[in-house]
Formats: sequence, structure tokens, C-alpha cells
Amino acid sequence: MEQEEKTIFQKMWNREGARAELRAANALALKQWQVEFSYPLSVLWFIVMPFLWFIPLIIAGMAITGGAESAALEGLVGTSDWITYIALGSAYTGLAISLMWGTGQALRREQNVGTLETLMTTPMKKETLVWGSMLHNLQHGGLGVILQLTASILLFGVTLNWWGIIPALMIVCLSVIGMQGLIFTVVCVVLVAKQGWMIVEFISSTLLLIAPISYPIAVLPTVLQYFSYASPLTWSVEGFRGFLMDGIAYSGAFNAIVALIILDVIFVIVGGLLFKRTERYVRMKGALSQF
Amino acid sequence: MTHQTQEDKDEVTHQSSDYLETFKPRAMDWSAARTFAMKNLRIALRYPANIMIWGFLPLLWFAPYILMATAVGGPETTAHFTEISGYDDFIQFVIIGWFVFLYLDNSIWGIGNNFRVEQFSGTLEPLFSTPVPRISILLGAAFSDSIQGTIQAMILLLLSMSIFGVSYSLTAIAPTIIVLLIMVIGLYGFGFMVAGMILVFKDPSVLTQLVSETSYMISPVNYPINALPKPVQFAAYLLPTTIGIITIREIAITGAWNLLNFSQAVLALGGLAIVFWLLGLATFQFAEKWTKQRGHMGGF
Repeated sequence: MEQEEKTIFQKMWNREGARAELRAANALALKQWQVEFSYPLSVLWFIVMPFLWFIPLIIAGMAITGGAESAALEGLVGTSDWITYIALGSAYTGLAISLMWGTGQALRREQNVGTLETLMTTPMKKETLVWGSMLHNLQHGGLGVILQLTASILLFGVTLNWWGIIPALMIVCLSVIGMQGLIFTVVCVVLVAKQGWMIVEFISSTLLLIAPISYPIAVLPTVLQYFSYASPLTWSVEGFRGFLMDGIAYSGAFNAIVALIILDVIFVIVGGLLFKRTERYVRMKGALSQF
Repeated sequence: MTHQTQEDKDEVTHQSSDYLETFKPRAMDWSAARTFAMKNLRIALRYPANIMIWGFLPLLWFAPYILMATAVGGPETTAHFTEISGYDDFIQFVIIGWFVFLYLDNSIWGIGNNFRVEQFSGTLEPLFSTPVPRISILLGAAFSDSIQGTIQAMILLLLSMSIFGVSYSLTAIAPTIIVLLIMVIGLYGFGFMVAGMILVFKDPSVLTQLVSETSYMISPVNYPINALPKPVQFAAYLLPTTIGIITIREIAITGAWNLLNFSQAVLALGGLAIVFWLLGLATFQFAEKWTKQRGHMGGF
């Protein structure tokens, strides 16, 4: 019996490779779902969250335009259907916020409940901790996007080009890679600054401001436009919305895909390096479980 | 243990007993409220950047509305907006909305989350076992949050005025202070209610976001109240900030101070303050009893 237990333990310990990391990431994602569902209000929040962000934009838009058409927007982006334009932009934002906030704060949450050091000593790659949380937030945010888009179609008359769904999902995949670089940077801030949620709030609010969610980049001040072009969130929103509005005929497809690939490479390399260095630094300082 | 140390210990025990023997429970302990507020402010001052960031952050939250208005309505305020709101400058309109709304946001996130912070620091149970009325602790938390909130709101107002080049009537200062004072007193009751709910539901990130986002959605911050459906307008008027935003906005932008309208607003705010205090204290007392009975006080 003892021998058998030892063998299982050794087998577990020796488990490595992409499959083992994937299983670990999946276990982390499932664990987070269980935690969320143990708070009854979380379920309610999960359902209403996408609408609480989207509806104020619709009310404000209605107060400004007085209808469903906007000549000013048509002059800027070629479509007067401002409701569809904003609905698609804000739907993607829900996913981005979920990825940035949820994953960015994942290690902090483990730190608060005293499980971060234990997780760090398990035989999985440190990056898997972040990937596991990212997987959960991708599922969480993805369901939110589906929920918001369905309600937007049913309640606000938003129209989608169904041919654009698969290319839009490809944009989401490219976007997730680039966002990982950003998320790794956010995790570094959280690990070093401890009470770094304020910095995370600042970074995410700035990224959301310069992203073309409810307005095109053209209305931003020139300096901010340059920052906007360098953000993967900008190209993700543009690509996601472009495909869902115009289908495969979306004219900005090439620009969005190429820009995302280039930014993915840059952000993943920089974010990954930063995470490795920060994690080593925090371990050396013995500050992993400090508040 | 030496003889001297034993004597010292006995003396301390005797003194403590004296304190407890002569202690008479009071309905309100102002000194405890002040001490709790000072403690919170001292912690806040340890992180001065936080206050600055919270004064600056709302700018990043409302700038998207201004950019959206430019994108869908053009660079000038639209005729439709002027028609339904009665104001011809969207930016001037929105800034006042955010200035007042910050107080509501603060009462939700600040007062409400105060006990959660104590819970995380492991000091909630000792705090609740002190012979101090709960109302003093709640008010202490509320005072410190009002001071921080006012600093943040002033930073936001001055920063926004300089960035967007808008100005407001100076005659609005005195009536604004009166309205803000009554509104803040009402918001204390609202904050007590949220604090009670956090004691029961525990997870403040979800509850506070839910309360905060819902009240934001129905408040006339970025749009006039009549842009909302009728039943929602009714719900909006139940929030102390709605009357606050409408009154302060009118006086600050037009500079006109109609005594009758102003008195009505003050009376309505006073009425809401009484209702929220009663509701807030009742909710908090019930929540405290509920969590104590289940031994959940320090739990997560």
C-alpha cells in the first residue's frame, strides 16, 4: 500500500509537458468557478454585469442623437448604426476587463487566502498559474460576450453579419495572446506593489480610454492616437467589430490581423520576461506571501 | 515572575476593572467615532498617491462619454440633448454629474467596505467586542470617507475644469455646500446599509460593484433624468445623489438660485436622509445580529 502511494506520488511529481500543464490550468479554472459560485451574488453579478456597462452608453447615446442613426459617426467610420457599433465594441470590452482584472488579480487573491506559496511549490510551471486563471476568465468573459450580444440583438435591434463570426473568433484568439503579455505585466505590478490594484485600475482604465470601444480612434487627441495604435486591445476591438459588422468583406481585416500578430510577439516576449524576473525577485526577497 | 511585576499586573487589572465598572453604555460615543475616523485617515495618509489617483481616475471614466458624444453627435452639443436636458454644453453637464456622483461612489466603496478591510486585517472581531456603540464606528468610517471623498471630488472638478476649459457660477458655492452636506448625511445611511449587506454576503467586490453600477446607471450623471424610462426615473429619485446632482447642476451652470426650488430640494434631501438612516441602521443591526448568531463575523 505504502509502495503504491509512493509510486502515485512519484508519478504525479514526474508529470510534465504541455498536457500536464494544461490539466493544471484546467483544474485552476474549475476551482475559480467553484469559488465564484459559492457566493450567490456572484451568479447575479455574472448575469447583469455586461448590461450594466452597456446600458448607460446606450442611454447617453440616445440622449445625444435622439434616434438610432448618427450622421457624425457615418462621417467618421462609414456606418450610421451607432447602437451596433457601440454594442459590439463594449461586448468585447467585457471580455478584456475580465481577462485583465480577473487574471491580473488572481495571484493577489491566492495571496489573500494564503495559498500562493503552496501553489508556487507545486510541480507546475509558474506561468501556468496565470494561464489557469486566464482560462477561467476567458470562459467567464466569453459567456458574458455571448449573453450581451444575444440581449443586444433581441432588445436593441443590433444586427450581426453571421459570416463574420469565425473570423471574429480568430481575432479573439490573436487578442488573447497579446493580452497575455499585458496580463503578465499587470501580475508583476501586483506581485511587487502588493496593493497594486490601484495601478491595475489605472492601467486598465487608460487602455479602455484609448481603445475604440464606443468611438473611433479619430476622435482621440493625436498623442493618445499613437498610444492607441500600440495597444493590442485597439486592434482586437476593431477586428472583432469589423468582422461582425461587415463579415469577410471587412476592409480593415489585413491591418488588424498583421498589427495583432506583431503586437502579440512583442507583448508576449516582454511580458514573459518581466514575469520571470519579477517572480524570481519576489522569491529572493521572500516577499511572496507579504501584504 | 518577580514580586514587582505581579504587583504591576494586579494594578493594571484593577484599573481595567475600574474602567469597566464605571462604564456606562451610551447611544453615541463621539470620541470613538473621532478616533476611528483619525485611524482611517492616518492609514490613508500613508498612501497619499491613492487619494491623488482616485481624484484623477474618474476623469478616465467619464472621458469616454465625452469622446462618444463627439463621435455620435459631432463636436458641438446636439440640439436633441439641449432640448431634453435644458443645457447647451455636454461637457459642463457631465463634470458636475461626476463631481456629485463621487460622493455616492465613496459611500458605497468606502463605508461599505470598511468592515471588510477590518475583516481582512483580522481586527473586526476585536473592534466589535469593544464597549463602543456600533453607530460610532460606522460614523467614524463615514467621516473619514467624506473627507477623502471631498478631496477627490475637488481634484476631479479642478482638473476637469482646466482640461476642458469649462467654468461654473461662483454664486453656486454656498448652496452647493448646503446641498452636499444634507446629501452626504443621507449617504451615510446608504453606506450603513451596504456595510450591513457586506457583513452578510461577505464578497464585497461583487456586492459593491452591483450596487455601484446600478446606482450609476440610474443616476443622471451622463444624461438628463428624463432620458430614463418613467419607472427608472422614480427609482433614481430614491437616491439622494439624484436630487443633489440636479440641484447643484442647475445652480452651478445657470447661476440662478430659485429659493422655492432650492427649499424643496433641501426638504426632499432631508426626508431621504431620515429614511436612509432608519433603513441603514436597521439593516446594519439585523446583519450584525445575523452574522453573530451564525459565528460568521470574522469569516470570509
